[in-house]
Amino acid sequence: MKSNRRSFLAGAGAIGASAYVSKYGFAWAQANQPIKIGGQGALSGAHADYGRQMRMGATLAIEQINKAGGVLGRPLELNFVDEELKPAVAVRNVRQQVSDWGAHFLVGIDSSGSAMAVGPVLAELNRICIFTHAATHRLTEELCYKGNVRQIFRASVPIYQDSILAAYIFAKRPEIKRWANIGADYEYGRMSWAMFKHTLKKLRPDVEFVADAWAPFQTLDFSGHVSAVMAAQPHGIFSTPWAGEAIGLLRTALVMGVFEKAGVWWQAMGGSVDVLEGIAGQLDRFNNKLWGTGRYLFTWSEEKTQRLNTQFVEAFNVRWGRFPNYSAECTYSAIYSIKMACEKAKSIETANVIKALEGMTIETPAGVRTYRPEDHQAVYPVPGGRAVKLPEYPIPVIGADLAVYPTKEYYRWPPFEAIPT
Amino acid sequence: MENYLYQGLIGLTYSMYLWLLAAGLTIAFGILNILNFSHGSLFMLGAYFAFTLYGVFGINFWLAVLLSALGVALVGAVMERFLFRRIYQLELPFQLLLTYGLVLVLDDIVKIIWGGAFLVPPIPPLLDGAVPLFGRPFPIYNLFILAVGALVGILLWIVFDKTWWGRMARAAAWNREMGATLGMNVPRVFTFVFMFAAALAALGGALGIPMRPVSPGLGIAMIVQAFIVTVIGGLGNLRGAFVGAIVVGMLTAYSTMLFPLFELFLPYVVMAAVLMLRPQGLLGGR
Repeated sequence: MKSNRRSFLAGAGAIGASAYVSKYGFAWAQANQPIKIGGQGALSGAHADYGRQMRMGATLAIEQINKAGGVLGRPLELNFVDEELKPAVAVRNVRQQVSDWGAHFLVGIDSSGSAMAVGPVLAELNRICIFTHAATHRLTEELCYKGNVRQIFRASVPIYQDSILAAYIFAKRPEIKRWANIGADYEYGRMSWAMFKHTLKKLRPDVEFVADAWAPFQTLDFSGHVSAVMAAQPHGIFSTPWAGEAIGLLRTALVMGVFEKAGVWWQAMGGSVDVLEGIAGQLDRFNNKLWGTGRYLFTWSEEKTQRLNTQFVEAFNVRWGRFPNYSAECTYSAIYSIKMACEKAKSIETANVIKALEGMTIETPAGVRTYRPEDHQAVYPVPGGRAVKLPEYPIPVIGADLAVYPTKEYYRWPPFEAIPT
Repeated sequence: MENYLYQGLIGLTYSMYLWLLAAGLTIAFGILNILNFSHGSLFMLGAYFAFTLYGVFGINFWLAVLLSALGVALVGAVMERFLFRRIYQLELPFQLLLTYGLVLVLDDIVKIIWGGAFLVPPIPPLLDGAVPLFGRPFPIYNLFILAVGALVGILLWIVFDKTWWGRMARAAAWNREMGATLGMNVPRVFTFVFMFAAALAALGGALGIPMRPVSPGLGIAMIVQAFIVTVIGGLGNLRGAFVGAIVVGMLTAYSTMLFPLFELFLPYVVMAAVLMLRPQGLLGGR
């Protein structure tokens, strides 16, 4: 093509115009563009209710926020996918959501193994993920606090709830001296048992830990585990399988007569709605020995946030026809935390939002959450107690002998001392 | 001592689940010469059928289990007639591609019909309870599974060793052309054999539902176990499957109790050892 002065000018003009559009026009268009939130959790298999509840909680929060005008004038949009409890799948999801779909923020993740794999990737992608279930303390204590991956935040209480709280509760039962473990055979279950033993031994030097049985994901038959630990004649059983597997395990323990023999059974995440629904038919047969907690109980909130919780439970019930599980509440609150932080920072840039989230306090259905600046862990109390049937609820709830401890006491605090495993 | 006996009996129960599952897998391989990776999915389908009949429609548990086995046998007939029949002569990798594809398809069908979450039916009253054994309560449910496993073993022995139909099936497996020349309807025999294998898988799945929540992905979890069992016992060998099931069940039960940290990996170690020292399996291949 012959080049002349006129075509050169036309070309220069076009470049200038497009530069102008991209600088101002795009900024203008962006104001209406949605803020994208990538979520993931277990959506299939025995643990599927957790991911579904996450999605329900996130969807409810986003619908409410968008109805009220969005965040910084922009609507929120959710993309929620199956984590399959596989670290490789979780990492792939995060990469796809950020690189292909354009996620600005990430939430969810059920498995501790997945969380530990996703953590370092967040630094590389420079995206904040608010974890809403994965419970290993190492995510916040090691990856965020010691490893300095500042993009990690966690809205849900970690295994402090499953293990330290349990140790406080049962330290007060002098007759429960022999403890056995039926553990989830992965990061979560192993860390919970180690932390429980460590804490209880300090509170009660006279206790003994008499048996261990480990059940991996997809355990098909728990009778071998139950019979192995019962051979050691424990007074208390510390149990960490969760969701559908918790129900299978509890049923097996029932028909094997465990609740006639042992004194207490701690089903760490027994306060999960799917587990409570699953044991509804057999509740009487646990002989008041079934204890548990959750990362939120829909029946309990701090005094200051009780009204907020009532409204949340009702809205959730209307929208989905179920009670919210803790993975739903934590994800719901994570979305509201993102909203508050973006508004505080007047930005959705990762660095600004991290600064806004650090030390931020927010009222949520579970209670008043404060994101600790050191390890980005949300601090809020959740009680533990006995599973009972209360007249006001159609399913069993953790509603008797409720033990509420101040977070100062039962959370671990920086600098975190090492736990012998 | 009593604790060890008790644990052994518990392990034997798990062996019987594995036996029901591995029996069908090994029959399909021994007679039809097909390594059916989707056998575990038929187990899962049996569980879903039984859940629907018993847990949703409230049909008697025993009838629900029986109907589920029949229902899955029909699914098996369709699979054999329209899919497997076309690949009998192909190499193993093609079989694995097709049958693994079926695993994914069946998982998704199950998710579409029943949803992704797990389902739990009530425990049938007759099986709910325990009897004292070795000084501890032993679940009636486990006794029942032990009985079913033994019965199926006897039944299979009679069918394949003592009946005309079983001899015909084995003859057809030995030499298809010769069977056909002698006037045997070989394709039909094969369809029946596969239905039988599918029904066995479904029986295992259906019987487990009171103690084991039903969910997608159950198929994959089961098939891995079934492969370990059949490899240890000898692929295609029915007695081998029985022995393999006992070995794996016992190993799992005792390692859960004695070496809890190695419970997951011991069966694999034994499988690897068998593959290295006696690749045809403890009782030899078919």
